[in-house]
Amino acid sequence: MAKIIVVTSGKGGVGKTTSAAAIATGLALRGKKTVVIDFDVGLRNLDLIMGCERRVVYDLVNVIQGEAGLNQALIRDKRVDNLHILPASQTRDKDALTQEGVEKVLDTLGKDFDFIICDSPAGIERGAQLAMYYADEAIVVTNPEVSSVRDSDRILGLLASKTRRAERGDDAIREHLLITRYNPSRVDLGDMLNLDDIRDILAIDLLGLIPESEAVLRASNQGVPVTHDDNSDAGQAYADTVARLLGEEVPLRFHEYQKKSLLSRMFGGTRR
Amino acid sequence: MSLNMDRDRMAFTFKGGMLPMTVMELTSADPERIREQLAGKLSQSPAFFQHTPVVLNVEKLEEPHLALERICAVCRAHKLLPVAVRGGPDPVKQSAWALGLGWFPPQEASRPRPLESVADAVPAEEVELDEPVDASPEVAPEALPGAVARGRIYRGTVRSGQQVTAPEGDLVVVGAVNAGAEVLAAGNVHVYGALRGRALAGIHGDVKAGIFCRELHAELLSVAGNYKRLEDIDPRMLGTTVQVQLFDGQLSIKPLD
Repeated sequence: MAKIIVVTSGKGGVGKTTSAAAIATGLALRGKKTVVIDFDVGLRNLDLIMGCERRVVYDLVNVIQGEAGLNQALIRDKRVDNLHILPASQTRDKDALTQEGVEKVLDTLGKDFDFIICDSPAGIERGAQLAMYYADEAIVVTNPEVSSVRDSDRILGLLASKTRRAERGDDAIREHLLITRYNPSRVDLGDMLNLDDIRDILAIDLLGLIPESEAVLRASNQGVPVTHDDNSDAGQAYADTVARLLGEEVPLRFHEYQKKSLLSRMFGGTRR
Repeated sequence: MSLNMDRDRMAFTFKGGMLPMTVMELTSADPERIREQLAGKLSQSPAFFQHTPVVLNVEKLEEPHLALERICAVCRAHKLLPVAVRGGPDPVKQSAWALGLGWFPPQEASRPRPLESVADAVPAEEVELDEPVDASPEVAPEALPGAVARGRIYRGTVRSGQQVTAPEGDLVVVGAVNAGAEVLAAGNVHVYGALRGRALAGIHGDVKAGIFCRELHAELLSVAGNYKRLEDIDPRMLGTTVQVQLFDGQLSIKPLD
């Protein structure tokens, strides 16, 4: 049975889709059979980040409404074996998703895959709640700023109450913190919240820390998940994150100002 | 603060407050039937009828026009003092005002957000109307604070958007209360962690209740309706271990050491 992981945040624009794509890619690169599902019906983005936007025929809503089979809608990634994408519909809205429909899709996928990554829409409404409802684990994506931390806190509250595991009284969802867009020099200047403050407030395990990086923007515009860019700091940070998700102990990198200046020399000062 | 310096010259100050209040929930608009029932109650428990202020709740009534003046007269004749009306359509509101009574919006509107009245306290007297006070002297408002409390222990972080309530006693939170969260108790509130959200103790009017926390960053502190916002809290107390209690109607925040 596959492990279902929701990538969520509450706040928009913090890097959910980028992270879902990067983590799914990382898992597939590690040999895990992985599917990543875009739950952001109406605001489809994952296909762009994954670089498969020209190959979308059917989508999640088509499958749920019985207009297409799951195998017709799944898109096989061109770069990595083991990786599939289930895109969202751009022309419908989130009401087109039903809880039973989502359950059926996840059950069917669960037989063939090791990991199902659900890319949640922003907000705390229906779309986000459906994306998290069946999850076994949650990756809460947070930027080092107060509004993002508060919204993540809100989402953690929902994960503890509005999910199948919570409603059935099963073991709680495993919650992981993923901090993105971390800029150690700005943290040092006090422009950004520091790592310890975020961990203190959210009180969950840190899965990874992704430094603010030009590589991320470049990757999303090229439609190549940043995990493939293993020379970049962000690519390496996502690889570390995936390793920790698989239970490995990996020391934290890219979180200290001193290290940053060393790395920027190594990478020709591209990070700022 | 200049406010304090001018205090001697001020004739009054506005304070938000939550007082225990008897609500008379009318299920009939017939003054005669109300009179009969009141007469019966009066003979059973004369001590209760000592010009007790009451709020007439007319939400359950269908009639758009009710004989508010006669109902009030019946109440006064039985030593109940109507001070306000709750609910009812616009004509009821108008006649309440005409009679010099206050008018409160229906309970449905305020019930889901019981704290807003404290948080956004209009500079006027607030009353806690949700207290079910049976018309028997034993449950007179004064008896409430001393009642033996049933407490509640919550383990874990209270997160933004969550509300944890101990409606009958003390609330103990073993963890932090994050910004945007609310913890409420009829008695004391204890937070064995950082208090970043709102904490309200003595929500039914217990002025002896207190708030205790390991690390004070609270958005709002309130004891029996007397509140302080984060902005009003002495910055030197922030981040420290404190106890919050009422002294002479003023919320006092002191180190807990």
